[in-house]
Amino acid sequence: MERRCFLKIMGTLTASFMLFGCRLEGIFKSAEKQVSNSIDFANRVAKEVKQALSKSGESSLFSLNLVKVTMPGEMNPPMPVLSRNRFGMAIDLDLCNGCGECIYACNLENNIPLVTQEESAKGRFLHWISMVDGVPVMCGHCSFAPCEKVCPTGAATHTPDGLSTMVYKRCAGSRFCGANCPINARKFNYNNAQELGLSYQFNPKVPLRTAKVMEKCSLCIQRLQDDRLRHKTVLDSEWDGRGVKTACAAACPKKAITFGNWLNPESELVKVARGREIYAPKALAHLDPSVVYLKGKR
Amino acid sequence: MKYFVVIIVALFSAFIMADLFFAPPAAPLRQGSRFFRHQLHGENIGLECAACHQGAEVLDHAYMPSKSDCLACHRLPLTEGPMAESLDSAFADDTYPFYNWNVKSKLPEHVVFHHGVHAKAKVSCEDCHGSRYKDDLYGGEKFTMKFCTDCHQGKTFSTKNFRTAAVYCGACHR
Ligand code: HEC
Ligand code: HEC
Ligand code: HEC
Ligand code: HEC
Ligand code: HEC
Repeated sequence: MERRCFLKIMGTLTASFMLFGCRLEGIFKSAEKQVSNSIDFANRVAKEVKQALSKSGESSLFSLNLVKVTMPGEMNPPMPVLSRNRFGMAIDLDLCNGCGECIYACNLENNIPLVTQEESAKGRFLHWISMVDGVPVMCGHCSFAPCEKVCPTGAATHTPDGLSTMVYKRCAGSRFCGANCPINARKFNYNNAQELGLSYQFNPKVPLRTAKVMEKCSLCIQRLQDDRLRHKTVLDSEWDGRGVKTACAAACPKKAITFGNWLNPESELVKVARGREIYAPKALAHLDPSVVYLKGKR
Repeated sequence: MKYFVVIIVALFSAFIMADLFFAPPAAPLRQGSRFFRHQLHGENIGLECAACHQGAEVLDHAYMPSKSDCLACHRLPLTEGPMAESLDSAFADDTYPFYNWNVKSKLPEHVVFHHGVHAKAKVSCEDCHGSRYKDDLYGGEKFTMKFCTDCHQGKTFSTKNFRTAAVYCGACHR
């Protein structure tokens, strides 16, 4: 081919790509999103939870292996901003019967997407709470969070209140955090759940996640934020999160899950944990988790 | 040779047509609604912003006034003024308690913002919204993350001595 001719063709192609690239979206309007009503969708979520419960035996990647720990106290290492709060949960294994209501409530509260057939067949779900050996397991919000140390973009960080948080917009999907979490609490959105019609926004306060981001239990940060902002607006006293409950704690029919503030001796959490044996999964025990398990009297 | 010229010209005009018909419109400074004017409802008649934007001092959103807020003063139909007619017709539809003010959220869904906290900390409306709304022009506000965090760290508005506020990610993101 003649050289000039070649250059012209290439030039035209480049020009048209440059011009077209940004217009495609406008010209080919994305296909109508699947609309489904919330009750149908909630039923699908409930079904998936049942499926997850029935598969929980075969697919767990670690064994729980609970060991004794002491009651969580001040954050370690201390946060740059000091706070009088450290939020966490205690799950009373003398009461818990592994019914899975917490998983269902969590899914609806946090708009957790469903997974495809292939993935559910493999026992891979996006649920932030999973049942391991009949015990609900979620992110431990460890003070020495190993996941945050390896995040290359700074999307996984800690708040002074002891929550391990995610800025989903910052997450680039390296999955290092997931690999470094000893209890596999982080779930990766392989699919674009919105496009596949696998997610539904039950709770308008929690944004839907896009594909290729890591997500995990946030200790219902939206409830804490809302309460904190409301409190700061109306009252002058220091906010300590009294009265806030996570969705799982609120939904537990046996009241086995207690949410609260480890640093406030008056909080429900400390009251429940006092005088009990406190346990954590062996893999997390040295990381000072904020979510612990209670069993038996001391 | 000729073919190429023709093809290129055709492509370009096609793209321009595509732009005209399919591209989302650029967002200009927005002129307020056809008939409401902040100019006439400001300090001169002693109205607090929160009289109409009832959430601005206590809630997350400032919110827009309902018809009854307007009717507190406009119970009698306006008889003069260029906008009187559109006001009357907007209020005439009794089945609809709220006039549908054309206001879109300016922050993405993952950002937490709360007007009340800022009002409590004595940050004034003008600090964030500028004073352009007084000329009934909106849209000049810049709500970038830097705008928020700079003030929270005391880098901007330093003469106003606001208290320093949180800059950890979990304060503003969910
Ligand atoms: C009499 C009622 C009233 C009062 C008082 C009032 N506003 Fe408004 N405001 C409105 C209405 C109505 C609109 C919507 C107008 C429109 O859509 O053009 C509006 C719109 C706005 C907007 C634009 C919202 C958006 O994003 O489009 C801002 C900002 C605003 N007002 C700020 C203020 C401030 C600051 C004050 C106090 C100095 C104030 N307003 C006082 C009724 C009022
Ligand atoms: C505190 C009383 C008060 C409230 C509340 C109030 N207005 Fe008014 N409004 C006035 C006064 C006073 C004028 C006349 C101002 C002038 O002519 O200088 C006026 C004038 C107007 C006009 C006529 C402007 C023109 O150019 O003819 C319109 C339209 C109007 N208001 C709309 C509204 C709407 C919409 C609301 C509710 C969001 C509202 N007003 C709430 C006091 C009020
Ligand atoms: C710290 C900055 C800040 C201050 C101070 C502030 N605003 Fe806003 N305002 C915002 C932001 C950011 C938004 C966009 C919120 C959104 O889109 O979700 C907004 C939105 C609004 C809107 C649009 C509608 C809505 O419900 O959010 C109105 C009206 C408004 N503000 C009025 C006021 C008034 C009146 C005051 C003073 C009492 C005020 N604002 C003070 C930052 C501020
Ligand atoms: C002009 C200064 C200023 C700007 C601009 C500003 N803020 Fe603030 N912000 C404050 C002050 C002052 C406080 C009060 C801190 C306190 O009470 O501890 C505050 C508090 C907050 C809080 C509560 C923090 C907490 O401790 O829980 C949030 C959330 C917040 N701002 C979000 C935003 C967002 C989002 C923006 C940008 C759209 C923004 N702010 C812009 C001054 C500002
Ligand atoms: C004071 C409030 C505030 C804090 C603190 C804050 N952000 Fe933001 N962030 C915002 C606002 C407001 C926006 C929306 C900006 C916009 O729409 O342009 C935003 C947007 C973002 C985005 C999306 C940018 C984009 O282009 O879409 C990312 C990523 C982000 N923030 C990461 C972080 C990280 C990481 C931290 C912690 C180091 C953090 N933010 C702390 C207020 C905040």
